[in-house]
Amino acid sequence: MSDTSTLTETDTKVSNQTPWNVIVHDDPVNLMAYVTLILQKIFGYDENHATTLMLQVHKEGLSIVWSGELEKAEFYVQQLQMHQLKTTLEAAE
Amino acid sequence: MKIAPTIEGGLRIDPESDEDWHVLRAIMLDANGMDIDLASRLGDLITDERLAEDWEENIVPDLRESFTDDLNHIYAAIETAAAFPQDDETPIWITRDDAFTWYSALNQARLALEEKYKFGPEPDTDPANLTPLRHEALVRSHFYCALQSFIIQHSLGI
Repeated sequence: MSDTSTLTETDTKVSNQTPWNVIVHDDPVNLMAYVTLILQKIFGYDENHATTLMLQVHKEGLSIVWSGELEKAEFYVQQLQMHQLKTTLEAAE
Repeated sequence: MKIAPTIEGGLRIDPESDEDWHVLRAIMLDANGMDIDLASRLGDLITDERLAEDWEENIVPDLRESFTDDLNHIYAAIETAAAFPQDDETPIWITRDDAFTWYSALNQARLALEEKYKFGPEPDTDPANLTPLRHEALVRSHFYCALQSFIIQHSLGI
């Protein structure tokens, strides 16, 4: 096996271990109660925490609702998009 | 149109005129009214080049299928109720089990209307400032939103 392929594999592992942010963005359609409900349903957050995040989305335009490994982050973004929330996935800096 | 909660935690919708049936059928038309569908619009939000291609190939089709299934479900519910003679009592039932499906379909319609007309969070509702088409779209959007609020209040829960 060449040195090049070893380096590529290492890079991929590092990339996957980078924390990723699941970010919900504000939009004029999704109702505040619905956003709170979906954050509770998907992440298991209690109502107070889900409401805090929802209000951050509403007031600041976005909120990082979860951070962690890529595979889980992708799953959460898929779930949030399935519920039609405007959601992005970004590598944490 | 009358909308009332049921004791099982659902809702019943009683359309009372042709206009009521028209606005209910408009949910599907509005939801499908954009050239770029909702699944693609959401998929486009994933811009990281390491993820975007896989997202487009693997996730967006699932989103599209789910959204289409939801629309088909409420289309069937509306047309099944509409198929009965008008002198019969033919409510449309929204059970707790399909509350999310109804919410989804209504949301798809509102998201598409917003994408098309850019109403914003506090739209100008004065008919004098709106074209007839835009005014009708805004009224439908408000109706969908009111029905969503009923669904949240009576039928959705953890």
